[in-house]
Amino acid sequence: MSNQVSDVKLIINGRRVDGRRLDEMRPLSIKAGLLHKANGSAYVEWGDNKVVAAVYGPRECLPRHDADPYKAKLSVRYVMSPFASKDEHGRSGPNRRSIELSMVLREALSNVVMLELYPNAMIDVFIEVLQASGGTRCAALVAASVALANAGIPMKDLPVAVAAGKIDGEICLDCGKEEDNFGQSDVPIAIAPRNGDILLLQMDGLLTKAEFLKALDYVEKAAPMVRDLQAKALEECYKGAGQE
Amino acid sequence: MRRIVYPGYKLADKKLSGRGVYYEGGASYAALVGFFDDEAGVLIPLEGAYEPEVGDLLVGFVSDIKPNGYRIYTGLPNNTFMSSKDFRDPLDVGDIIIAKVREVDELKDISLVDPVLLKGGNVIRISPVKVPRVIGKKGSMLMQIKEATGSNIVVGKNGWIWISGGNEYLATRAILKIEAEAHTSGLTDRIAEFLKKGGME
Repeated sequence: MSNQVSDVKLIINGRRVDGRRLDEMRPLSIKAGLLHKANGSAYVEWGDNKVVAAVYGPRECLPRHDADPYKAKLSVRYVMSPFASKDEHGRSGPNRRSIELSMVLREALSNVVMLELYPNAMIDVFIEVLQASGGTRCAALVAASVALANAGIPMKDLPVAVAAGKIDGEICLDCGKEEDNFGQSDVPIAIAPRNGDILLLQMDGLLTKAEFLKALDYVEKAAPMVRDLQAKALEECYKGAGQE
Repeated sequence: MRRIVYPGYKLADKKLSGRGVYYEGGASYAALVGFFDDEAGVLIPLEGAYEPEVGDLLVGFVSDIKPNGYRIYTGLPNNTFMSSKDFRDPLDVGDIIIAKVREVDELKDISLVDPVLLKGGNVIRISPVKVPRVIGKKGSMLMQIKEATGSNIVVGKNGWIWISGGNEYLATRAILKIEAEAHTSGLTDRIAEFLKKGGME
């Protein structure tokens, strides 16, 4: 990623390399409750990204000295599988990148999970990226929030994450891998749709204030669509329920 | 009308009580996945961990012996202790018991009382929110399984179920079937059919 407009043309006639408009997301599908041993799980396919999340807990906090008598400990582990991608992203963790992403996802999720209900306990979220194609942290957060709901962990909201970016000098939504690599900026944003709280905001590359506000606007318009798919995945998981 | 709600779903513009609901800024929202009944104003969770309450019966096993009592493992993250003050028969590590919750403190640590030793048998674990379905209305579902299999079954609120004697295998399969299909309708009839056919589907 560079601040200079690269030679590679990423937008031609208002369409991006994969034919999308500037404010169009890649196709997203979510499935909840696919792992039977975990308390909750979810699988997300977002474009070429494939992400599985599993949640265990609340369970005994190990190691014991990490236990907090005021709230549960939320542990998030984000890793890429060794076969996730062609380049250095494909190294399986724990490496510098996966440790950072685990940390930002944990901090985003701990704003909505009601940790104070389970003192001295621990909630584990495991996120495995099976195939990576740009924007995996957003896909990981979407998967983790559905998996937490599926595990019956009390939450104030189902967080939603979408990335915006700048390619060829234009702001666009949900950058793919080529756009990430040859674009000028990438801004993943996570939102709690109920009250509009921003849970995660990172910016790789530079944007002007006007550009940033436009990026935020795109993300806020896309968030309800992601939220609907999350709700649909959970409803699908309990199909035929509540007729009696 | 009943509908499926998920965390963050706005339930009502007033304060609702019950599990899986929270109140913020003049409205109540769901905190868990569950059914919400508009008329009754109650959320029935579809998933969730066991929340200890005084008076509940829990199935667990003795995991450690202390000078003044026993540490009991019930599958919960909370410390669970049972004083040996009120009963004579000593217990051993690994003994399965059912006991009543006497007290839950602010750290959700549990103290148990009135244990009954469960000799032999097996323990299976199911999700705690599915326990009411296994018991059924006025114990109808549990009675049906007991009659069909001749097993002795003890259900703990923590989702641990002790099964002994009779056709243990069939009883286990019936309970696991109830857990898997707990949210569907017409379950009592299907379980009756399942038991009548001896577990053949």
